[in-house]
Amino acid sequence: MLKEYLDRDIYNLIIKNFNFSDITEIRMRINSNLIIVIKNKKYYLKDNDQNNVKVDRLMLDNFIKRASENSIYAFNENIKNGFITLPKGIRVGLSGTVVTDGEKIVTIKDFQSVNIRIPHFVKNCSLMAFDYIFDGDIKNTLIISSPGSGKTTFIRDIIYQFHQHNIPKNILVADERNEICTTVNGETSLDLGDFCDIYTNCSKKFAFKNGIRSMRPDLIITDELDLENDLDSVMEAINSGVNIIATIHAQDIHQLKKKPSFARVIDEKYFQRYIVLTSDEGPGTLANIYDEKLNCIYYKTR
Amino acid sequence: MKWILIIVLIFVIMLIAHSISEQYKDKYDFYNNLKLFLNQFKINISFRQEKINDFLNKTKAKKQFNLFINSYKNYLKTNELDLSQIKILNDEEKNDLENIIKNIGKYDTENEIKQLDNFLLTVDMKLDSAMQDKNKLCPMILKLSLLFAIGLAILLI
Repeated sequence: MLKEYLDRDIYNLIIKNFNFSDITEIRMRINSNLIIVIKNKKYYLKDNDQNNVKVDRLMLDNFIKRASENSIYAFNENIKNGFITLPKGIRVGLSGTVVTDGEKIVTIKDFQSVNIRIPHFVKNCSLMAFDYIFDGDIKNTLIISSPGSGKTTFIRDIIYQFHQHNIPKNILVADERNEICTTVNGETSLDLGDFCDIYTNCSKKFAFKNGIRSMRPDLIITDELDLENDLDSVMEAINSGVNIIATIHAQDIHQLKKKPSFARVIDEKYFQRYIVLTSDEGPGTLANIYDEKLNCIYYKTR
Repeated sequence: MKWILIIVLIFVIMLIAHSISEQYKDKYDFYNNLKLFLNQFKINISFRQEKINDFLNKTKAKKQFNLFINSYKNYLKTNELDLSQIKILNDEEKNDLENIIKNIGKYDTENEIKQLDNFLLTVDMKLDSAMQDKNKLCPMILKLSLLFAIGLAILLI
């Protein structure tokens, strides 16, 4: 699926040396060796003479040119946030020189590196946790894990589980980075069932406010909650009778407790379930589940 | 027989003259279309933000400008640009065109529009020059050819 974006030689080397479906990340940094990540292990890409493949400016620029379909202006809103989303949910993280105008970020130029993250649809990876999320009623749930531990894969499967369990609840996905549903021209390639509406590439504030008004959801699912900025929208949704399932970056519940704004979440009991994921046995491994008082109600036996 | 030959000769000379003058008209049309294309693209960037390939697919073009559109689409696919089919442009003009093609889509909206404005300045100059050539040279070529044909006919008679 990256054939049309990577240099042909690089793509051929990758499929020759690796099973493409196992790859979770491809990292390209200028003047450094190209790195392939499989299940959190890093491998160098070797050429036919068994030398490491080095990334140069041309290779990186060509990739970004193809990824943006020669239309950087059309992707600039995403580029300003440091990523481009390709079809099938492939997320390309970008680093480079950030151009600012006062406090406003104008764009990123002179790209230094890209991190190509390839999503995986792991069916039933959330099945174990699903009983804790839905017992006739949907529990407001916060899914916690460090980056790359499969949060998005997990919530994607939660949507699938609602469909699989024939639960006729209207689900609104606030897909800020088009990672969850990976829509292209308004259509998704994933099997999300008959009750799923999607807002793509818009802020959570917009999706929550307009979505509740116009789509009348029973549940809003969203990725990467920002406790500083998104809590008011979450509170508004919950007070409107809409359930929330969201993800957040943190290593575990203890690290999350250290965030000042999390105290408000606990005090006001926004969430009834806190699910912690690890990547011990691959991304999306269920570690612990906590209730609204942060009592551990499930822990993974080792 | 002689008269028929003379008429054929005059016809052939005028046909050649016409095809030469058509090139000037085609060049003018080409730059006119290019200006329109860049202006529409500017509007696209400001409002619709369609990707360049989608925009090209929606652009309807005829004659020489169609060759430009096809070369552009091919460049986006293969990363190889071949403008040799556009016969009405000289090497310098082809270089300018190459510069436009290779630099569109590299920047954020604001800078892309600034760049398009710069391209439009160049295209405006080319358009002016093409219009002057068309207005001056086309009638002149036709008149001179006619005079040449009549002169040749007199000599042959």
